[in-house]
Amino acid sequence: MRILVVEDDDIAAEYVRKGLMEAGHVVDLAPDGELGLEMARAADYDALVLDRMLPKRDGLSVLEEMRKDGDATPVLILSALGEVDQKVEGLRAGGDDYLAKPYSFTELLARVEAIGRRSDPTAAVTKLKCADLEMDLLARTVRRGDKKILLQPREFRLLECLMRNAGRVVTRTMLLEKVWDYHFDPQTNVIDVHISRLRGKIDKEFEEPLLHTVRGAGYRLQV
Amino acid sequence: MLSALSKLFRNTLFRLSLLGAVFFVVALIIALGNVYFLTISSEIRQVDKSLTEEVKEFQTLLDEGGLIPVSREIFLRSGSGDRHYLLTSRNQNGDDMVMGSLGEQIVTLKNQEKAVLGEVGGQGFTKVDFILVIPATDTAPSSERRMRGLSGYLQIDGRNVAAIVASRDVEVTMRTAERVKNAIWTSSAIALILGLISSWFVSRKFTQRVEAFNRLATDVRAGQLDRRAPRNYSEDEMDLLAEHLNDMLDHIDRLMKAMRYAGDSIAHDLRSPLTRLRTRLETAAADIENPDAKQTLFSAADDADELLKTFDSVLRIARLEAGERREMLSVIDPKPLLDDIAELYEPACEDRGLTFTSAIEAGHMISADRGLMSQAVSNLVENAIKYTPKGGAIHLSLLKNKEGRTEFSIVDNGPGIPATSRQRVKERFVRLDASRSEPGSGLGLALVDAIADLHRANFILEDGRSSDDGKRPGLAARFVFPRVRKQKSAAPSSALAQASRKAAE
Repeated sequence: MRILVVEDDDIAAEYVRKGLMEAGHVVDLAPDGELGLEMARAADYDALVLDRMLPKRDGLSVLEEMRKDGDATPVLILSALGEVDQKVEGLRAGGDDYLAKPYSFTELLARVEAIGRRSDPTAAVTKLKCADLEMDLLARTVRRGDKKILLQPREFRLLECLMRNAGRVVTRTMLLEKVWDYHFDPQTNVIDVHISRLRGKIDKEFEEPLLHTVRGAGYRLQV
Repeated sequence: MLSALSKLFRNTLFRLSLLGAVFFVVALIIALGNVYFLTISSEIRQVDKSLTEEVKEFQTLLDEGGLIPVSREIFLRSGSGDRHYLLTSRNQNGDDMVMGSLGEQIVTLKNQEKAVLGEVGGQGFTKVDFILVIPATDTAPSSERRMRGLSGYLQIDGRNVAAIVASRDVEVTMRTAERVKNAIWTSSAIALILGLISSWFVSRKFTQRVEAFNRLATDVRAGQLDRRAPRNYSEDEMDLLAEHLNDMLDHIDRLMKAMRYAGDSIAHDLRSPLTRLRTRLETAAADIENPDAKQTLFSAADDADELLKTFDSVLRIARLEAGERREMLSVIDPKPLLDDIAELYEPACEDRGLTFTSAIEAGHMISADRGLMSQAVSNLVENAIKYTPKGGAIHLSLLKNKEGRTEFSIVDNGPGIPATSRQRVKERFVRLDASRSEPGSGLGLALVDAIADLHRANFILEDGRSSDDGKRPGLAARFVFPRVRKQKSAAPSSALAQASRKAAE
């Protein structure tokens, strides 16, 4: 993916660039809002990482300007302002996801990859597939190979989220936000318990495990 | 109606001004009573006095010249002006002699026992009030006149010779007396009614101003620090109170803003370097080969997270306490919210050998923010999970309690919290000795308390289900909500849900 990072903190920006490049992406940096907007207009990026507090032009205004132009590039808003209302504000302004500082890089990477433009628009997808695991979004059925797998509604949504991001890391916080719509971090390992139940249903009787735990990051559905 | 009255009577100013009105009416009655005493009653006394003198005069006449001059005098005086007399005596032949103007007319005596006619015996004179009926004539209809008289016996050598009634027509005086009495009662009644009305008016005026202060206090407590007391610049004591209150609020507002600004800048200034620190540690951990060093670096990154999370919680509690998000509350049925929590934690409980049960009723509306409420319940359930030993039970319930208020509770059979510490654990950074070994910041219950406060709900900690022969009293955390008053259609909190759902797709 080609990613534009608009961040005024040089050191943080450099780390983000280094990390994203190591993950196989092409990264451009913009140190302020004006330049960020110009670059976003000039080139076709797959995703934008946008800090809220920027010199010259703040992040939200950059975002609003882009959306006004009809630019639908997915944007991950990055900010020190982690309050829920401000998240709402960011998402309303047209952001696709919101991440509060301090973030772990894995969280940032997972989110950028999750919002990044995919080859085919997901809206048209009615079936998700990962190796021999298949999910029918209309019939709400899941099967692996020949075997039909019965899932609880929540397990279905959990698996859907993982399958939509197949091959990429999905963090626990992302799962909590997207599957449960909770914007706080529980102290206990609730997500792990749900994942292990899901694992019991989709991986247990099969030779090749699909649902992997990524240490210090989250989970990944992969062959 | 009754409640409005009792409310009026509870109003201090109404009671005071009513008391004033009552005092005024009493004073009025005393003053007018005095007028009555000095005029009417002294006139009657005057009449009594002149009657007494007249009777003495008759006695003197009798002593000097016998009955003849007396009867002549009575004859002369009778019927002149307001004077009326009656003289009866019995001569030696046993014939009764009756004379005087009263004899010609029908006399109705008020007090029959004081009848003077024909009764011989007894001594002294008695005052009598009676009514004189004047028969109809060609020119005037019959009339009744009120009379004041003195009756008794005229004596010679201690022997009763004649009975006499000397009287005056007091009709005019009595009518005036009646009018004065009526005037006293009506003016007192009017004064009392006016007093009631003015008390009501004064108290209403005053109450409106006090109400304004009460509303202000409520609004400020609800987080609207920009509200100010209304002033009329009359410089009266209420206006001065308003001025002082407003000064105080300005000051509080300034302090709050300074605090929030400091908090926000600290948050911002701390987060950026901490993010860098975290990223550096993470990158270093990824680059390093030595597994021990890798682990150390990962742990260091986690510590940085922990630091910020604590800081975040403190800021969040401060903001909740300031009531900033109260306008975000909307009327919701909490059942789905609690169902979600139950579903989220049920497997985690099972994993730890705890029994998790729930009884969640539908349709008990509350005014709440879904996100905050979920967090509060989640904190409480996690607390229960953390402290309840293996084999224990946790019960989550939602119901309408006896007072008709929506309530949910999380009950466990763990070690509980001693009654003396229950208030203290709601404060920030307070951790009981027993929990020091567990991970945590001591902010969980403080956050729950702040969320409860924002929702105007009562957050109550009590003994839960006791177990182990009462050695473990358990803990019941209850959230009791106020009754929902008005329906708010706007649901700003769901905007977040929608936005993030959109983002998820």
